Amino acid sequence: MGLIEIENLSVTFRAKGREVRAVEGVSLTVGERESYGLVGESGSGKSTILRAICGMAPVTGGQIRIGGEALRMPRGPGFSRRVQMVFQDPYASLHPRHTIDRTLSEPLAIHRIGGSDAKVVKALTDVGLPASFRFRYPHQLSGGQRQRVAIARALMLEPSILLLDEPTSALDASVQAEVLNLLTRLREERGLTFLMVSHDLAVIDHMCDRVLVMQHGRAVEELARDDLAAARMTTAYARSLFEASADRMLDPAKAP
Amino acid sequence: MSTLRAWLTDPSPTSRRQARLGQSYLAWLRIRRNRLAMAGLVIVGLLLLVAAFAPLIAPHDPLVQDLSRRLLPPGTPGNLLGTDDFGRDILSRILYGARITLYIIALVAVTAPVLGLLIGTVAGYFGGWVDAVLMRITDIFLAFPRLILALALVAVLGPGIGNAVLAIALTAWPPYARIARAETLTVRNSDYIAAVRLQGAGAGRIIWGHIVPMCLPSVIIRVTLDMAGVILIAAGLGFLGLGVQPPMPEWGLMISSGRKFLFEQWWVATMPGLAIFLVSLGFNLLGDGLRDVLDPRSAGK
Repeated sequence: MGLIEIENLSVTFRAKGREVRAVEGVSLTVGERESYGLVGESGSGKSTILRAICGMAPVTGGQIRIGGEALRMPRGPGFSRRVQMVFQDPYASLHPRHTIDRTLSEPLAIHRIGGSDAKVVKALTDVGLPASFRFRYPHQLSGGQRQRVAIARALMLEPSILLLDEPTSALDASVQAEVLNLLTRLREERGLTFLMVSHDLAVIDHMCDRVLVMQHGRAVEELARDDLAAARMTTAYARSLFEASADRMLDPAKAP
Repeated sequence: MSTLRAWLTDPSPTSRRQARLGQSYLAWLRIRRNRLAMAGLVIVGLLLLVAAFAPLIAPHDPLVQDLSRRLLPPGTPGNLLGTDDFGRDILSRILYGARITLYIIALVAVTAPVLGLLIGTVAGYFGGWVDAVLMRITDIFLAFPRLILALALVAVLGPGIGNAVLAIALTAWPPYARIARAETLTVRNSDYIAAVRLQGAGAGRIIWGHIVPMCLPSVIIRVTLDMAGVILIAAGLGFLGLGVQPPMPEWGLMISSGRKFLFEQWWVATMPGLAIFLVSLGFNLLGDGLRDVLDPRSAGK
């Protein structure tokens, strides 16, 4: 039994009489402490799956279960302590008028958890930021530093599941690697489960145990890491995605 | 003194209190660099001082009439700004009038923007029928001419300063609600709101702690721009006998009573007019400076 179970999920957006089926009948299971990737081109519905888990997308069919329990609307405080998300754009995901301290202590205040002083400092050092950044504003930080703050915020409530929505696509290549290594380290230290979205197979290959390839809102193919590395995919679409990013795979055997 | 400054400007403060005080100190430095804002601050500070110490500064009692000295021009010994049609000293009346003006401004500035912010952010955040109902109410209030609506309210509530303030506040909130709603619509779908919602925050916390700070700068600008209008509406109500009652020295009332001799004895209406002009200018300059200070992004690194 998996920690996250998604069964036949469909998401349909309705606007002014038009229907857009963003996700159609996708099923997947993520085991505890597993790192699972969703990959596909823009508009393939991969981010929508994350938003559906968080209750921010209109689910029209299927079921999502976390730890065997079906999710209710609205998601309760228990959900917040279990599942958190890191957003794609670190320039848009931090409140521009709140200091880092306020941003990080807000989840503690919401859940009435004490000792926020020490916890904020610890959260900053855990993501590799100096404690002196605590009272700065987001505009005084670089993109990579902001994304570290966003990761620290997601971990404030000590969730077991982290949803990652293209966490590095807005960052420089060198900063990308740092943030990915940070995520890998945190996953090992805390035994986190990752559900990660990316359009970049190289990132997925570096981070994930299994990956689901998506196209036009449907699941195309599920691949284990070994299959991905050995290029053992069965569908033409997955192969074309693989070939587009094969030269940037971080696997040393494949390096030129 | 220098240790205090070092403590305040410490780039890595050790406590929340130090960080907050440091932020206020930096804000003060920023507003001090802005000369126009400082000019505004000086004018508003003077208004406060004059209102507080009016009995000590004023050369005459503002209510005592002396019909032998009526309509004296400015510069007359003993009456620096001249006298009005009842022989009352205009300078003393302006100094005392600062109290009433400040009282009206303060009450309106505290009530109307808060009400407008609340209605606008709630409408923008929830959307749907809440938005529709609140915005139609706002439209109805906006469609009425402000003075007429204030008149109707005062007619129901009865004349007096308190009711005039209430009437002005109840007619002044719709523009704030419109601004707040527009700002709310631009931020409600942003990732940082989604993030705090995902953390389990309730609507009240999101609106008050996360959306209102984004709306504040534009609302504050609007408040300072509206101050002149508020003084004039209060004057209009007084003129119609529904606001401040004569012989109270209120600037708007003084202008309307001076209207009758505008061409022969211009100073009766001009002097309080200059006072209104100066105070509105002060608020406008200060508001412009405050906007820069309230936005940490404009602070530079």
